Amino acid sequence: MVNFELDAFIKALPVIGRALPITVSVAMVSMILGVVIGTLITLMRRSNIKWIKSILELYVSFFRGTPLMVQMFIFFFGLPQLIPVLAKVNAYYASIIVMSINASAYASEVIRSSLNAVDKGQYEAALSVGMSKYQVMVRIILPQGFRIAIPPLGNTFISLIQGTAITFMLGLQDIMGVSKMSAAASYRFFETYLAVGLIYWMLTSLASWLNSYLEKQLSYGLEA
Amino acid sequence: MNLPFLFFVETYYGGKLKMKKSTWIAIIGVAVVLVTSIVLALPKDEKKDILIGMSGGYKPYTFMNDAGELTGFDVDVWKEIGNRLDREVTFETSDFSGLFGKLDAGQLTSIANQITVTSEREEKYIFSVPYVYYGAQLVVKSDNTEITSLETLKGKRVGVSLGSNYEAMIKGFDKDNEIEVITYESYQGSLQDVSIGRIDAVLNDRLAGLTAIEESGLDIKFGGEPVEALYNAFPFAKTEENNELLIEVNKALEEMHKDGILETISLKWFPVNITSK
Repeated sequence: MVNFELDAFIKALPVIGRALPITVSVAMVSMILGVVIGTLITLMRRSNIKWIKSILELYVSFFRGTPLMVQMFIFFFGLPQLIPVLAKVNAYYASIIVMSINASAYASEVIRSSLNAVDKGQYEAALSVGMSKYQVMVRIILPQGFRIAIPPLGNTFISLIQGTAITFMLGLQDIMGVSKMSAAASYRFFETYLAVGLIYWMLTSLASWLNSYLEKQLSYGLEA
Repeated sequence: MNLPFLFFVETYYGGKLKMKKSTWIAIIGVAVVLVTSIVLALPKDEKKDILIGMSGGYKPYTFMNDAGELTGFDVDVWKEIGNRLDREVTFETSDFSGLFGKLDAGQLTSIANQITVTSEREEKYIFSVPYVYYGAQLVVKSDNTEITSLETLKGKRVGVSLGSNYEAMIKGFDKDNEIEVITYESYQGSLQDVSIGRIDAVLNDRLAGLTAIEESGLDIKFGGEPVEALYNAFPFAKTEENNELLIEVNKALEEMHKDGILETISLKWFPVNITSK
């Protein structure tokens, strides 16, 4: 007795749509913060100070190696029992904090490999014309590294968008949370989840499009 | 202009910072989307007095109506308690798996989601006086005549809800591990699975089952008589402040039992009174 009610599907769309700002802003802010923090981590990981390196490697390893859901539980439910002030952080900010940290670990690995992909000869050549180490990094290595990093960072962003689906656990009314409640009330699971699935797909398609656009812009002058 | 990214643009556009019009439009577009969604999504800073957590997905206790408003039996009960205490009650929805975590973290005053009082829970939380008395009930596929009690579940697969006390109930009965228990995140998911035969039965609250059988259109029915008498109440974290609040809440609940308002609320959502033994 599987029956698909087009009506329920269409009705679900605007209900879920109202929660879009939450999902979009959490994903975008987390991505931006994640790339900024990830870049800083990568640069610090290139330093010669051993303990900084090991701490950051531990950080990247932990946040890349544990599920986002576990990190949310630890941050939102576990830590406030040790540090009571953290209980004042609401679900919206908590989601952004945890997802930024998570994204920064992935971004750091992506950026690290991208910087390594820039030819060593460029580094030496830049030094030989009298640039300082800082200038070489900012003017020569980072710009080229970022161009290489754009496609894999797009992947990170898409995972991040999908990762927001678990934030209802913290009580954030994201599109997945609203879908869960709406489906439970109408008993229209297939229709509701199909609707939210299509909305996620639309979001990630937009992200991919933006990504390839950026990629094309930044490759200006490099086409053979 | 010390941003690495801008240097990069500079590098490839020949000396000066020149960007195509379309690039600017894209950047502005992204910024507009970002700012608008943040503004729309930012939590409104309301003064919060009593914060009640619920899943928002447990019909008819707590669910979203067609207008997108939170409603249901538990919502009505707390609105009435709030009236009697003359305090503002705010409801917060969250996945069931996160509710007790939020209570522990001090982000909720209590949970109104048909929480059954058990000895394990009483060790950690203080409970109000009960507001619902009920029985656990097996739900099976319509053509199933075999399953009528816990005894007949042996060798079968039975679904329970995550964090509910039904799993403990089965484990307490089934000392030899002959019943396979499958845990579901949502009650509706387990009903879906029993209707398509993926599991043999679901053990859950009798009244939620009644509503589901009537409304869902799924191919299901009750399997036998109610299994065990239980009662539900509101859990609070064990703190000084809550001890005082609980005295007030209990007083309100007892009055509501007495003057029949609980029965009225119950009859609004169910064909019977679930608030008395």
